[in-house]
Amino acid sequence: MTTQSLPLSAAPGAREQPAATSDSPWRHVVVTFRDNPLYLAGALFVIAIILIAILAPILVPYGPEAFNRRQPLKPPSTTFWFGTDRQTRDIFSRVLVGARVTLSVGIVATAIIMVIGVVLGAISGYFGGWIDNAIMRFTDLVLAIPQFFLLIAIAALFSPSLTTTMIVIGLTSWMSTARLVRGEFLRLRAQDFVLAAGALGATKGRIIARHILPNTIPIILVQTTLWLSSAMLLESSLSFLGLGAQPPTPSWGCMLANGRTEMQTAWWQTVFPGLAIFLTVIAFNMVGEGLRAAFDPRSRRR
Amino acid sequence: MSGKNGAYLVRRALMLVPMTVGVSAIVFALIHLSPGDPALAMVSEQGSDPAIIAQVRANLGLDKPLLVQFGIWLGNIARLDFGTAYSFNKTPVMDLIAQRLGATLLLQGLALGISVLIAIPLGVMAATRRNRLFDHLTTGGSFLGLALPTFWLALLLQLVFSVRLGWLPAATAGQDAAGLGKLPYFIMPVIVLSLPTIAILSRYVRSSMIDVVGQDYVTAARARGLGERPILYRHALKNAVLPMVTILGSQAAHLLSGSVVVENIFAWPGLGALAYDSILRRDYPVILALTVLTGFFILLINLAVDIVYVLIDPRIAFD
Repeated sequence: MTTQSLPLSAAPGAREQPAATSDSPWRHVVVTFRDNPLYLAGALFVIAIILIAILAPILVPYGPEAFNRRQPLKPPSTTFWFGTDRQTRDIFSRVLVGARVTLSVGIVATAIIMVIGVVLGAISGYFGGWIDNAIMRFTDLVLAIPQFFLLIAIAALFSPSLTTTMIVIGLTSWMSTARLVRGEFLRLRAQDFVLAAGALGATKGRIIARHILPNTIPIILVQTTLWLSSAMLLESSLSFLGLGAQPPTPSWGCMLANGRTEMQTAWWQTVFPGLAIFLTVIAFNMVGEGLRAAFDPRSRRR
Repeated sequence: MSGKNGAYLVRRALMLVPMTVGVSAIVFALIHLSPGDPALAMVSEQGSDPAIIAQVRANLGLDKPLLVQFGIWLGNIARLDFGTAYSFNKTPVMDLIAQRLGATLLLQGLALGISVLIAIPLGVMAATRRNRLFDHLTTGGSFLGLALPTFWLALLLQLVFSVRLGWLPAATAGQDAAGLGKLPYFIMPVIVLSLPTIAILSRYVRSSMIDVVGQDYVTAARARGLGERPILYRHALKNAVLPMVTILGSQAAHLLSGSVVVENIFAWPGLGALAYDSILRRDYPVILALTVLTGFFILLINLAVDIVYVLIDPRIAFD
């Protein structure tokens, strides 16, 4: 399971410029999303998923755990839009509630990734020297362990559950963010406005928090969006392998694993939960790419 | 290769050893700090007499302090002795890995080769038809290819080609099924593995071709009256190859990770399936060996990528 992103608008190695130089980066975000139907569709879909996750308990036609007596493995119909599973549960309801599961894993895991990545990257980039060296060598070490392998190993050894999944994804995914943030800090700390703040007697903590960090927000925002989609994809894979959320949790990955043995007779168990994962991941990727394009002056010119 | 670069690469090569030890330490600590006891898992079938459990723990060396265990284990792997598996009929770990390595390498090698063969022309064509229909289609395609969950794609392929149409076998028939003679078994796993790689690779080829095609020497080649095809594939592509090396390196590094899901779904008798099984059975020696070997492999590939960089582009200088 790879977690790379595409260089859709920029050449590989192109770096985002700081927001400090442009008048208002947020205006560019609005314009970029307004002018590109793909980014706009992604953003609208993301909003829809969030609404579904929040309102799921009101929206579902049947409870996700409710058994519909004598209705096992019914194909999609007007009563059961996505059909039912062997335990007679309504798959449409479970897919809607599944948005909650997936989104909450994505949000918590991404929060962990960002906190670790930004803190380590900031320390490394700002202080440099042996601290930088130590942190970066440790990052290299963790990067050398195959991520998905590490993920399933920890998840399995520390009894699989939704909580384990969130924590484990967070702890194994912060490295690229740490490197990016470090690079930004390295570059920014040598700039005049930061040097000036230091000369005026601002403390290190103040310089980091008030002068450098705000300029890394575009990068952090893009990373957050892209990691949201990656974390959700990782959660689905883990749950599919039986090492993430455990049944009867209505996780999309669990539902796919559940339907695997009945593919012969009940295709709807394989199609709909997977489609939900696919569309969600695409939507978040679109928003991430849209933000990247909006913040990147190179792509604005092209 | 300049002397400075040579010295840098030698230093990098020497770093392989402490880095591998570091990877081992992290994984060793994680595994041994996790709750659960392999000795308990092993005896549970024969009842749970505390004396027997203690005996098993002593036999496995699990009663010694963690640091001592780590030291003993490091000493053994320095001699390429990864011990014997707890389960899997107590096979020596190296034998176990050797049995499975071929199946994984064959599958992954095939997938990687096919990805390159498809992605390069796709990327070049997208770059030359920039902002035209073909370019937009490949852009959209790679977007979809990257977001497509591999396990779902695998299930869908099984659903269509095995269950509905009955054209392809849904899974291998076990150990002997990995020979090249059984080509039908390869089709679906190779598609699943190569699609994301094609998606990434073609994008990189496209964007580096766009960068290269605008440069003076390409214009000069055109002015000399060279045909468009030799210009693209012989002159431009050569300089667009550099970022591709990085991507191919990172793809190769993800080999084991990608194998876990695909080998699980298609019952492929390779390392990914071994990794999954060993984790479920808490087979410490196998988990450790797989992690350390793949970690070493990843470090080796990163080094190889740097060496290739220097060989391809003499302008690159490491410091």
